[in-house]
Amino acid sequence: MVRKLNKAFYNTVLSQTFSPCGNYLIVGDIYGVISVFHLSKIVQPESNLNKEELTPKNKFIVTENFQINSLLTTHTHLIVGSVGEIYAYQWKHVKNGKNVQPVWTIAIPEQKGAFNKTDINCLLCNDEAGYIYAGCGDNNIYVIEIESRKFVKTLNKHKDYIHCLTINGNDMISGGEDGLVNIWDLRTYKVSNKIQPHLSDKVARSELGIWIGALSSNDDYVLCGGGPRLSLWHYRFLTNSSVFPIDDKGIHVADIYNDKVLAGGQSKLFYQMSFVGDIISEIPTSAVTTYSAIHQQEPFSVLCIAGSSPKIDICNNFMYKNQQLSLY
Amino acid sequence: MVKETNSSIKKKRKTTGTDNDAETDIYKKVVDFEEKESTNRESSMDASIYFSMCQDIKATLKDIYERKCLKTVDVTGNKEGLTDICIKLCIIKKLNRIDKIKHVFGKETLSAEKQKCDSIKLSYQNLVYELHHLVAETNKCLAFKSKDEEIELVSFEEFMKEAPESLTQKFKNYSESNAEERHNLRLARLEWELTQRKNLAEMCKSLVEEQKKLEQDIVERKEKLNMLRPLLMNIINATKPLQEHLDVAFDQLRGEHKLAFLLPDPLYIFYVNVVSYKNVYNLSLVINILGDQDEAMVFKEAQEVSTSSQNDEDSEQESDLPEVEEVVEVKKRRHRKSVQQVDPMEEKKKQLLERHPLSVEIIASIEKGPSITATFHYYTKLKIITVTSKVNIPSNITANTAREILSGDNILGELKEGDFGTDSPSPTTPFQLKKIGVNSYQSLVAEIGYAYTWAQGVCGLDFLSKQKLDSDSVSSANVESVVKVLLKRLAARNDLAKQLQQLEQNIIPKIPTSVEAPSNPVSALVKWSSTTYPSFCQSEFTQSLVEEELVSSSDLYYSATIRRGNANMQALIVLKNNYPEVPPILSLCLNYNGAYHSANCDDIRDLERILNTEWKRGEASSSWLLSAQIYYLCCYMDVYLESVDPKVFPQNSMFLKSICGRNRKRPFKFTKVGTGLFSQY
Repeated sequence: MVRKLNKAFYNTVLSQTFSPCGNYLIVGDIYGVISVFHLSKIVQPESNLNKEELTPKNKFIVTENFQINSLLTTHTHLIVGSVGEIYAYQWKHVKNGKNVQPVWTIAIPEQKGAFNKTDINCLLCNDEAGYIYAGCGDNNIYVIEIESRKFVKTLNKHKDYIHCLTINGNDMISGGEDGLVNIWDLRTYKVSNKIQPHLSDKVARSELGIWIGALSSNDDYVLCGGGPRLSLWHYRFLTNSSVFPIDDKGIHVADIYNDKVLAGGQSKLFYQMSFVGDIISEIPTSAVTTYSAIHQQEPFSVLCIAGSSPKIDICNNFMYKNQQLSLY
Repeated sequence: MVKETNSSIKKKRKTTGTDNDAETDIYKKVVDFEEKESTNRESSMDASIYFSMCQDIKATLKDIYERKCLKTVDVTGNKEGLTDICIKLCIIKKLNRIDKIKHVFGKETLSAEKQKCDSIKLSYQNLVYELHHLVAETNKCLAFKSKDEEIELVSFEEFMKEAPESLTQKFKNYSESNAEERHNLRLARLEWELTQRKNLAEMCKSLVEEQKKLEQDIVERKEKLNMLRPLLMNIINATKPLQEHLDVAFDQLRGEHKLAFLLPDPLYIFYVNVVSYKNVYNLSLVINILGDQDEAMVFKEAQEVSTSSQNDEDSEQESDLPEVEEVVEVKKRRHRKSVQQVDPMEEKKKQLLERHPLSVEIIASIEKGPSITATFHYYTKLKIITVTSKVNIPSNITANTAREILSGDNILGELKEGDFGTDSPSPTTPFQLKKIGVNSYQSLVAEIGYAYTWAQGVCGLDFLSKQKLDSDSVSSANVESVVKVLLKRLAARNDLAKQLQQLEQNIIPKIPTSVEAPSNPVSALVKWSSTTYPSFCQSEFTQSLVEEELVSSSDLYYSATIRRGNANMQALIVLKNNYPEVPPILSLCLNYNGAYHSANCDDIRDLERILNTEWKRGEASSSWLLSAQIYYLCCYMDVYLESVDPKVFPQNSMFLKSICGRNRKRPFKFTKVGTGLFSQY
């Protein structure tokens, strides 16, 4: 029986997150659909899994055909960054899949003269302050108080749209399409430092552009990549420490984890490397481009890799693919 | 007392001495006497006498001894004692004799008694034996079965109801317990049965005679009818000039109907339904019956004969299997020696693939367009309908690819989803084919035609329920839908052919204004050709489609090249049989600074997504869908090239952001605002 080509075949996952309990994987795709997988059942199966169990437990539509750019887990809510609006859902509704309606929404102010609404490309949460940071398609980073849903501050030092955000202590680091990596002091909301990887000859790849697709940091280093190669920079001196020798056409995922570097993007492989650039593992991916890779240790160790494919790769030991989930 | 006896004995001795003449008598007397005495005397008394005698002897002996010891001179006392002892010894002797006699007497009675006992026992045993014999005999009697019990009698109630009063009266108060009555009843019923059977036998005989008579009658009448036929033919022939003169085509119609009656049932159902459907809706359908009438007549007669003995046939079929095995063995043996005779397998195959001599042909056509001729055959042994088709291509269609799309066998494939006609819908066919050594129906398609499920449907053969069902409703419901689908398919193919005709000349056909489309793409179609499934599979960028089984060998494949400057887009196009319900699938590969396709570039993947999945206009779009896809491809290729490398490709299309979002999306969404705007959402 020949199957029919449908749009699910061309689906792309842009964001993933775990539920607070760690038992569910929530996935947002380009059609505006959020799919919920019962991850604990899949990772720790009681018996052999059939095909149905590798498909979503339930699905709901946020806004049809507006892609889901970012997902954020807070203790109480699942926060969805779509296009033009941020939606919050209660976890119990998300998990049981019945009557899923947002409990609140925040509209991002529309750009003047812009034809399209604004993408919310990145969401971060600061529990202590009760703030959400939203990196958006209108070049701004918005600081929003969760309780009142009011805009506290708008950070507008980027010249093109924001790709990624990360928090490190009192600092927040942002990367954008303009090739800038800005380090913000969250106490003053001022740019304290900035890196421009594309200005370094070793790092720049002019044919791919200057954009920064992903970044991560720890106390000593900032990891970033995108159009320029994936590279490690000293946090204090802002000098290039190492360039990673991987074969890619643009970085979309970069993460420092357990003194190792996880990286993925437009490449057939997902890499795990040491700080000096030795490759520890290469995981072949189902997706053409990896847009999201998330991991957790508790309640079970798992790494979920997703991107421009309706398939999601699951790794238990971060070394090779154990399982493959499918959106349809 | 002892003295007395002694004296009596003495007397006896005296008498015996005196009576010499009757010596024997006396002896006998003595014996009698002694016997009498012995019986009369009491033994205990004798015993006491015996003891007292012994005592006396002892005492006397003692006396004598004492006297001797005293040495008395008186000897007389001794002599007296001796005499006394002698007498007493005599008495003892006498006692002994009596005792002996008594003993003998006792022994004799004992033996007499014993004999008596033995004889009684013997007679008793005789009796036992006799008893056994009798019991056996009675059992034999009880087990006796009369022949009459095997005769099936009418039940008692029926007997009471139907038999004449005279017979039944006795049994009005019949009770089961009375054996006599039961027996009588049995006799009466048997008699009744006999009379009835006699009557029936007579009736049977008379009926047989009547039948014979009727048969004769029938033969006579048939002969008469046969005589009538040439006469009628003559009349018909005679009317022909008149018919011609009046321009009425009775004859043709009659001929067709006559042929129709000779059609096998499934084809007949189809014929009737399709003719009626055509007449009601006045469609441009031509329906013909092909084949030789005489052959069909012969076939029909042969079939009638075989159906009358269908039961035999069934059993024959059952026994067929081992026979075949034998045949195989024989074949093997022959194979070693070299084949000499006609292959029995071939013979079997020929038998199985027997085709009804008549077939139905329908010709559907489109105004100023192609016409399709579909011929329906009925395979009598396989019990399936097969279809062969032929398309008559109008002269204005000259392009190779366009002709190809019309002439292909698959024009009838997948009229219903998944119905390729290469598998027999009958569940029995695989087994039948196995018998003749053919592995799959598919290998026979070229020889006997496609066995589409819809074709079985229109002929009223319903295999879904796995049983033959000559139901008219199945057929008529199908005929309408199938004819509709068939015409729709033909129209779609005609539309496609028209589009391909232009595409092959590198012209993208005009898209109706109702479809929102950007204007004036710079990229242009430079080459259009057909390709094949294997070469499609070999391309690197089609792997995901092949792996997901989204395409199959029954689809049609084309290749298009679109060019703008140095950039070169190769598009492989998959046309599904059920176009336009399933839009054509485009698989793209852009050659510009390297090869980009859906497996290594998200932008091309996104482009494919939009080209392949955003069409939901249904059948109305058949005249422009393929063209629109190619046209859009040209426009999007412009957008892509202009957004990627604006220096080389000056912007011609309207878009605000060349990329946006984490996935760096290209503006592949067209909105008709002013001259048209491309955006991401």
